[in-house]
Amino acid sequence: MDLGWLNVARANALVLFILFCVLVLTNISRARRGGNLFIRRIAGLNAIDEAVGRATELGKKVLYVPGIMSIDENQTIASLAVLGHVARMTARYNTELDVPNKDPLTFAAARETVREAYIQEGRPDLYNEGLVHYVTYDQFAFTASVSGQMVREKPAANFLIGCFYAESLLLAETGQSTGAIQIAGTAEVAQLPFFVCACDYTLIGEELYAAGAYLSRDPAQLGSIKGQDITKAVVGLYIVVATALLVVGSTLLKRILTIE
Amino acid sequence: MRFLKLQLPLLLTALAGLIPIVAFFASPNAVQVQWTKDRLEKYMIIIASFALMLGVINVVQSNVKKIERRQKGWHYGAFLLAGLISMAVVGILGAINVGPFQGIGFRPDGSRTPFQWGAEFVFNPLQATMFSLLAFFMASAAFRAFRARNVEATILLIAAGVVMLGRIPLGESILGGRPYLSHFTDWLMNWPNAAAQRGIIIGAALGAASLSLRVIVGIERSFLGIEKTD
Amino acid sequence: MDRILYWLNVLVRIDRRWIFLLIAAGTVVPIIFPIGFKVSITPAVQALYDKIETLAPDDVVLVSFDYGPSTAPECDPMADAVLRHCFAHGVKVVVLALFPIGGITMADQSLARVLPDYPNVKYGVDYVHLGYKSGGQATMKQMGEDIHNVFPVDRYGKPLGDLPLTQRVHAYRDMKLVVSLATGIIGEWWANLINAQFGIPVACGCTAVSAPKYYAFLQSGQMIGMLGGLKGASEYERLLTSGYPETTRIYGRAGLYTAIKGMDAQTIDHSIILLFIVLGNVAFLLGRRRGSAGPAS
Repeated sequence: MDLGWLNVARANALVLFILFCVLVLTNISRARRGGNLFIRRIAGLNAIDEAVGRATELGKKVLYVPGIMSIDENQTIASLAVLGHVARMTARYNTELDVPNKDPLTFAAARETVREAYIQEGRPDLYNEGLVHYVTYDQFAFTASVSGQMVREKPAANFLIGCFYAESLLLAETGQSTGAIQIAGTAEVAQLPFFVCACDYTLIGEELYAAGAYLSRDPAQLGSIKGQDITKAVVGLYIVVATALLVVGSTLLKRILTIE
Repeated sequence: MRFLKLQLPLLLTALAGLIPIVAFFASPNAVQVQWTKDRLEKYMIIIASFALMLGVINVVQSNVKKIERRQKGWHYGAFLLAGLISMAVVGILGAINVGPFQGIGFRPDGSRTPFQWGAEFVFNPLQATMFSLLAFFMASAAFRAFRARNVEATILLIAAGVVMLGRIPLGESILGGRPYLSHFTDWLMNWPNAAAQRGIIIGAALGAASLSLRVIVGIERSFLGIEKTD
Repeated sequence: MDRILYWLNVLVRIDRRWIFLLIAAGTVVPIIFPIGFKVSITPAVQALYDKIETLAPDDVVLVSFDYGPSTAPECDPMADAVLRHCFAHGVKVVVLALFPIGGITMADQSLARVLPDYPNVKYGVDYVHLGYKSGGQATMKQMGEDIHNVFPVDRYGKPLGDLPLTQRVHAYRDMKLVVSLATGIIGEWWANLINAQFGIPVACGCTAVSAPKYYAFLQSGQMIGMLGGLKGASEYERLLTSGYPETTRIYGRAGLYTAIKGMDAQTIDHSIILLFIVLGNVAFLLGRRRGSAGPAS
């Protein structure tokens, strides 16, 4: 059934979408008006300082891989937020940074992110075009190149943050064999076990998406995390109630949320 | 300048984010909306193609510099450039049907063009080789990581052992040909594993949705190199 | 006891290259000298097999090659087995590739391996090869409206309107099943997008690494079957040889790589890994009990 421009079959999805937006935007607005928003400790993000500090002390580089997907992937955007923070630290401590890229759009965005970070830190002299470079579009050719870099140049800290697929274990295990401290983060569920086994710290799923807010401590971004958490609580409650109703034979809540 | 560096990108981002959302909720009869969304998808593919050129230029520049300065690992750069140039030349000549480089796939008589030969006998085996390294790395990672250090690690160890045994015929041979281990492995994958994965997927999806909303309304500006909102 | 603990500690501190060497031997030897371990059939694989068995001879199956050369050792046997099943059962097949790097080569090679065993299968009548199209989800969605708009010509440059099979196949509504042989996310797109929007049953053949993710889709009914990794492929080959005895001759051919043969290597490799894990843990626990530091490599 259509109602002019609106697809009524997806009206339930529209209601959920509006509810989600209201929750997130309301909390952003409240956060902007003041108030200390609590966000739990995320070990992987707290370890960034330690990792960059270790690289600085050893006089070795920091290797940052922002995933293999393009800028239209949410994980890549989240990774760029962390890259900005890492780049500011490397600018501050005059530590060498290396950011190899598989995707050309991500390469362009990463280059801008790192350049801006060095400018904001007041060290534009330390920035050069070679810090962020493009390798190749092929997944395993990229992996071979980065693995070779890890073995030859032995970075002290590896950041594997973004969207990874089969190359995750190859990169993580190679990095582990060189003795680097490794911080990984991805929302790819299939790759999480590899990162957990081979890396020192792993950001799991939504921790990666919260990284930008966590590192910047920007009230607006923290407010969105709170809105997201409230939504998750609502979803969790819905699942519990809907499951209980299904057990007694009622499919009402299930049918309400069926989206065509 | 601020308009070009900040406001224009934010405006374009908001539009690029809102159009697919509106198209999702719009009726298929809302032709203009669907047309706009399809156009946007096509434009993104075109932009990505141009960005690929930017990437290739960067690869050539950085590797030529490395070779000129004889930096550490410069011979790898030479090898990369040789591969890049040879396949590019062969591919372009094949695409425009010059001389013996007719096409980039199989010729009508079934023989391989040089591009197809390079793809099939050089590129494909190299890809398969890299992927096969996973087997070795998985063995060393499993050996190092699966230790019963604490309760959680022990549960991980037992689950991994059960699934690894259940995935091979040896698991049945041990139990006298009875497929209990295989069925338990399936149960483990279908129920606890699926439940845990769903939990992570739901959390990650909400995180992605929240990030997307922040990007669309201009609060998240990390991709522009700006950490905080004003 | 001290001697045992000493050697266990040596083993635990072993250079990883020894492990690599043992894995290499465990992979190569069973391929040269096949053992022939028997596999049992899991419900997800049986479901796909049964679905194709229930199809009528004129029904159409869409086989999408969504993987590249890197995962060919796992996905090629699945692709070959599904194609063999369809041809043996008399079901019509439409082949396409959506994976950008090497997908079309995988499709070409799979057809080249399978077709010689089915001389009665005619191009254009029993199967059509659409070729590769970029665009991912956009392409998949547009195929739901009209495949002829997305693929005006087939892999070989022939207009789809000239081929008897594609004259009657215009969209998903004209097909009975989609089988996606996938690495990465494309298999999910088929389930999330195409099954949800167009209702066509979807099955997936995926790498073992991706298989845990797809169980959720099986549970929810978005997928009707799944071939998970080399084991899934070997189970399907087993089903094929039981249901179609003439395929036993094909799978017994020397020099042909099959999942059944690959399972021998997988069995030995898993056993080696499990042995090392057990020995490593024994050393770790004995060492901890004795008060010495648990070694970690």
